[in-house]
Amino acid sequence: MRTERLWKIYPQDPRPVEAVRGIDLTVLRGEFVAMAGPSGSGKTTMLNLVGGLTRPTRGEVWIEGEEISALSDRRLADLRMQRIGFVFQSYNLLPVLSALENAEFTLLLQGVPAGERRERVRELFREIGLEGLENRRPPKLSGGQQQRVAVARAVLGEPALVLADEPTANLDSHTAEALLDVMERLNRTKGTTFVFSTHDPRVMERARRLIRLVDGRIESDQAASG
Amino acid sequence: MARRDNDIWWRMAWRNLWRNRRRTAITASALSFGFVAAVLMIALMDGMFEQLVSNGTRVITGQVQIHADDYRPERSMHDTMGGREGLDLAALVSAAGSVEGVTGVAPRVYGGGLVSSGDETAGAVLMGIDPRREEGVSRFGAAFVVGGMPGPGEIAIGNAMAETIGAAPGEDVVVVAPAADGSMGNELFTVSGVFRLGMGGFDDAYVLVELGSLQELMAMDRGRIHEVAISVDRTDQADGVATRVEEAVAGLADGLVVEPWSVFHEQLYFMTSMMGAANAIVAMIIFGMAIFGVANTMLLATFERRREFAVARSLGTSARSIVRIVVCEGLFLGLVSLGAGALLAAPVVVYFHEFPLDLSSFIGTYSFMGSAMQPLMTVEYSWDGPLVSAVALVGTGVASALYPAWRAIRVPPADALASR
Ligand SMILES: Nc1ncnc2c1ncn2[C@@H]1O[C@H](COP(=O)(O)OP(=O)(O)O)[C@@H](O)[C@H]1O
Ligand SMILES: [Mg+2]
Repeated sequence: MRTERLWKIYPQDPRPVEAVRGIDLTVLRGEFVAMAGPSGSGKTTMLNLVGGLTRPTRGEVWIEGEEISALSDRRLADLRMQRIGFVFQSYNLLPVLSALENAEFTLLLQGVPAGERRERVRELFREIGLEGLENRRPPKLSGGQQQRVAVARAVLGEPALVLADEPTANLDSHTAEALLDVMERLNRTKGTTFVFSTHDPRVMERARRLIRLVDGRIESDQAASG
Repeated sequence: MARRDNDIWWRMAWRNLWRNRRRTAITASALSFGFVAAVLMIALMDGMFEQLVSNGTRVITGQVQIHADDYRPERSMHDTMGGREGLDLAALVSAAGSVEGVTGVAPRVYGGGLVSSGDETAGAVLMGIDPRREEGVSRFGAAFVVGGMPGPGEIAIGNAMAETIGAAPGEDVVVVAPAADGSMGNELFTVSGVFRLGMGGFDDAYVLVELGSLQELMAMDRGRIHEVAISVDRTDQADGVATRVEEAVAGLADGLVVEPWSVFHEQLYFMTSMMGAANAIVAMIIFGMAIFGVANTMLLATFERRREFAVARSLGTSARSIVRIVVCEGLFLGLVSLGAGALLAAPVVVYFHEFPLDLSSFIGTYSFMGSAMQPLMTVEYSWDGPLVSAVALVGTGVASALYPAWRAIRVPPADALASR
């Protein structure tokens, strides 16, 4: 994943908001990256740009050698389905679907046969401690369980990149640690690339690379101890 | 992309429908009541049409008529079927009578003349009839106040004319009428009875003469008639019967035209068509309002779910699939309402069929375009009304979802995700 001189300006009164200001960023396959910064620093906008949920004002976004900012909505939807996984801060499961149905959603979009889908979901659920919760609807799951289902959904389609926008913000520290354990493990075992935003110092510590955003610019970018 | 997992969209739509049970129940109730109202309204209208047409055609005209092609509209006495030669009357009557759906066949001759008794004279429409056959088509037979149908050499007159010229059954009257050979027919007839149809224009003007006697008076051969009036078992099937009669009698004479009541009773047809159109407009307004009401509810529901739709789209769900979820929900809403509506409508329709609404304590019998109406709202069983209403109902559900569906995909996912 790579961005070049990426700008996002929201037209707004009284003056336009420059949420992302000329960011050049490259994330390699298999990295585990935290994007930190105070509220309003442009983290969400940056993740949305990379995931094709919003279009840049200027600059380029490359996903696995494809420049995506000019793609049609349809192509972008396909791109997300095939190559990008999302985890959001909250309310991010579909409430009418069971945990299993939520987790297999991307696989279903990809056209994976039902039997194989179920098998892959069950296997992953076992791995991340969701066994036995397959048929629960989201309201019957704890926040931590919901986020794990969301992570499962994001990684099951075997995307090139998982983008997580403050995935632990609604979780207590213990549950947050557990979720990071899961993400880290998947990063290690499956080689899934993670880019997640946070403003929680304890979460930043878990990243192997820490990018600090301030006012839509990269203030620092360093390998962390991990 | 494999498409055999389409059922996920249906599943989501179905579950979405029941997320706000109260809202769905209220909307579905409104729709099912609308369905019941539409079914009942159409059934009552059908009953009223049937009564209108039946009354308008069962008194005299019948629902199908045969004429010589140049008879109408002038109704010249010379324009008999088969021209001056006439035709084989018995063959014509039996050919028409054997057509499926025909319940009665009555041949007729018409003339104009004067009827006098003593010093009093009245202008009259002379109607030559076969008394036995006329029973199966018109109401004259059942309308006698005194006496009965005329035999050879006899005449039956309406009560208003009987009063004007002071004639009573058993008395003789003189009938003068222009004849087909240019002479003036002039004959003495005995009054066989006095009828009362209760409709203006008939009881003071129509006189019934036995067919052969009138033909003799008007110097016409036995095979010469002006009209064959035909009754059918179902008035709404008259067009089809007319076509079949036309085929059955085509070989008997040149230039025979067979027309259903919608042609020769233009006014009645115009009236019922207008009422039908008015009815359709009312129904469209009802369902149109329903569409706005339901669309509003669906709009609310999709607005509440905009984050979910955004999440689904961020995972790669196409806009088309989102539209499918919303439209399916509308479809399910329509089907659920239809199920409830059908359960509700069935007993209501059966009830009004068994116990017609009797409005006679509010309004008396009234005459409408020459058609006597009973203030009785009857409901006829028919699949047409429920079918049309069902299609309209399910259509309403789907149509209501279109705008909300469009709104659901118009919001960029990032914006919807950001909104609270
Ligand atoms: N849709 C939008 N319209 C206008 N301004 C926006 C929009 N989204 C974000 N912003 C603004 O852009 C800036 C960066 O926001 P955001 O990317 O959400 O930062 P963070 O996620 O780091 O809090 C903020 O000033 C925010 O108010
Ligand atoms: Mg944010």
